[in-house]
Amino acid sequence: MKLMKKGAEADIYQMMWQNSKAILKIRKPKNYRNSTLDSKICKQRTIKESQMLSQVKSFGIPTPLVYFVNLKNNSIIMQEIPGKPVHDLSESKIIELSKQIGKLVGMLHQNGVMHGDLTTSNFILFQNTVYVIDFGLSQNTIKSEDHAVDLRLIKEILNSAHAKIMQSAWKNFLLGYKSIVGSASFTKITKLVLDIESRGRYAQVV
Amino acid sequence: MLGLGIESTAHTFSCAIIEKKRNKGKILSDIRKIYRPANGEGIHPREASRHHIENCSSVLSESLTEAKITIKDLDIISYAAGPGLGPCLRVGAVVARSLASFYKIPIYPVNHAIGHIELGKLLTGASNPLVLLVSGGHTMLLAFLDKQWRVFGETLDITLGQLLDQFGRSLGFASPCGKNIEELASTSSNYVTLPYSVKGNDVSFSGLLSATKSVAKKNKIDACYSLQETAFAMISESVERALSFTRKKELMIVGGVAANKRLSEMLQDVCKRHGCKFFVVPLKYAGDCGSQICWTGILESKVKPGTLLKDTFVTQSWRLDSVVVNY
Repeated sequence: MKLMKKGAEADIYQMMWQNSKAILKIRKPKNYRNSTLDSKICKQRTIKESQMLSQVKSFGIPTPLVYFVNLKNNSIIMQEIPGKPVHDLSESKIIELSKQIGKLVGMLHQNGVMHGDLTTSNFILFQNTVYVIDFGLSQNTIKSEDHAVDLRLIKEILNSAHAKIMQSAWKNFLLGYKSIVGSASFTKITKLVLDIESRGRYAQVV
Repeated sequence: MLGLGIESTAHTFSCAIIEKKRNKGKILSDIRKIYRPANGEGIHPREASRHHIENCSSVLSESLTEAKITIKDLDIISYAAGPGLGPCLRVGAVVARSLASFYKIPIYPVNHAIGHIELGKLLTGASNPLVLLVSGGHTMLLAFLDKQWRVFGETLDITLGQLLDQFGRSLGFASPCGKNIEELASTSSNYVTLPYSVKGNDVSFSGLLSATKSVAKKNKIDACYSLQETAFAMISESVERALSFTRKKELMIVGGVAANKRLSEMLQDVCKRHGCKFFVVPLKYAGDCGSQICWTGILESKVKPGTLLKDTFVTQSWRLDSVVVNY
C-alpha cells in the first residue's frame, strides 16, 4: 500500500481491490482532539461519506464507487479516479470547468444534498468527466441557507486560491448553477449568500 | 529610520517606537494602557475612548522617554485606522494627526489586522506562512498571494475571542476572559458534547456559545473544558484543511488568543502531522500593541509617501483582504 496524500482529514493510500486499482481513505485518530469528540466525528463522517458517494450517483453525479467500508478503523475503500484535481489545472481550464462544477452543485442542491466542502481540490477531471469527491461534511438538507453556505465556500476559495480568474470562474459557476436550479431558487440562494457575507466580520456595511 | 505607532482600536491605547536598520526592526519601546470594563461586562466604546483620551499623553511621553528620543527625531507616524470601535479609533487618529501636522512628520494610516501579521513575521522570522489570526476582532486563516492577504477560512459569525469573552463574562469574569477559562479548563477532563460546526474551511461559533452557556448552569468547569476542546478542535481542523489546500510549509499564529497554551499545543500537533514549521508570536506581542502599527507603517513608507492630512481616515469596518500590499 502506497501513501498518496496526507489530507486534512484522512490519509489516502493507493491499493488493489479485486484486481482493480483502489483508494483507501482512512480517518486516523487525531491526537489534538479530545478522544470522545474525535471518535464521534471520524465515525460520523465515514458513514456520511460512504452513504453519500452512493446516494448522489442515483441522480447522476459522477463519484467513485464504494467497495468497502470498515467502521472499526473508519476507513473506506473506493474506486480510484486517476485524473487531476481541478485545483491543479490551468487557469483557462478552471474557468471552462466552472460551469460544469456549477451544474454539479446545482444537481446536488436540487436533490437536497449539501456538499459541505466545496473546494477546487474536491473535483477531479478524468476523461472529460468531472467527478465529485470528499463528502465527509455533506448533509441531506433542503434548506436554502445550507445551500448558500456551500456557494459561499466555493466563492471564498475562488477568491483566495484563484484570485486572478475569480470573476470569470464565478460567473461561469453561477451560469451552470442557475441552469439546473432555475431562476427562482437561484435568486433566493444568491441573495442568501450575500446575507451570509454581510454577517461576516467587518463586512462592508452599506 | 525611526517610527512611532499608535494603536487604539479597542481596549488598548499604546504607543511604540521602532528603529529600522536595513530590513531589521528593533522595538525601542512599547507602552500600553488597557481599559478594563467591570467584571462581567464588555467594552463600552464611550468609556474606552475616554480612557484613551485620559491616558494618551502619558503613554506617548513614556514611549519617547523609554526609547530615549524626542518627537523631532521621528521619521514617520502611523496609527491604526481600522477595523475597530469608532470612538476609540478616533483618539489614536487625533493624536497622530496633531503630531504629524505640528511637527511636519509623514503620517500613515495602517490596517490593524495587517499589523498583527507583519509584526508576527518580524518577530518569528516566518517567511511565507499560512496565518491564523485569532483575536477579539478576528478569526481568519490567511495566505499571501498576488499582493494581497487572501482569506482561506474564517468565522461566519462571532470570533474566537468573542466566544471566550462572552462566555467568560456570563460566568462573571473580567474580559479578556481567555486566561480565566484556560485555568478552569485545566482542572477538568470531563467532555460534554457540544455543537461542532466546521463548514469547509470556515467555522461558526454562535451555536457553541449558547450551548456552552446552558452546560455551565450544571457545571462551570466542565463547560470551560468542553468549550476549549470543541472550539480549538474546530480551529485546528480548519487550519489542517487550509494547510493541505494551500500546501504551505509554515503556520504562524497571531492575535490575542495566540496566548492560549492549549490552542498552541493542538496546532503544534497539526503542524507535526503536516511536516510544517510552527511559529507563534511572543506572548508580549500577541495582543494589541503599538509595535504592530509602527512596523507596518515603516514597511509602507518604503513604497509610498505619507498620506495627506485630509485623507487620514478611520474606518470601523476595514477588511484586511481589501488592502493591497506593495512592499
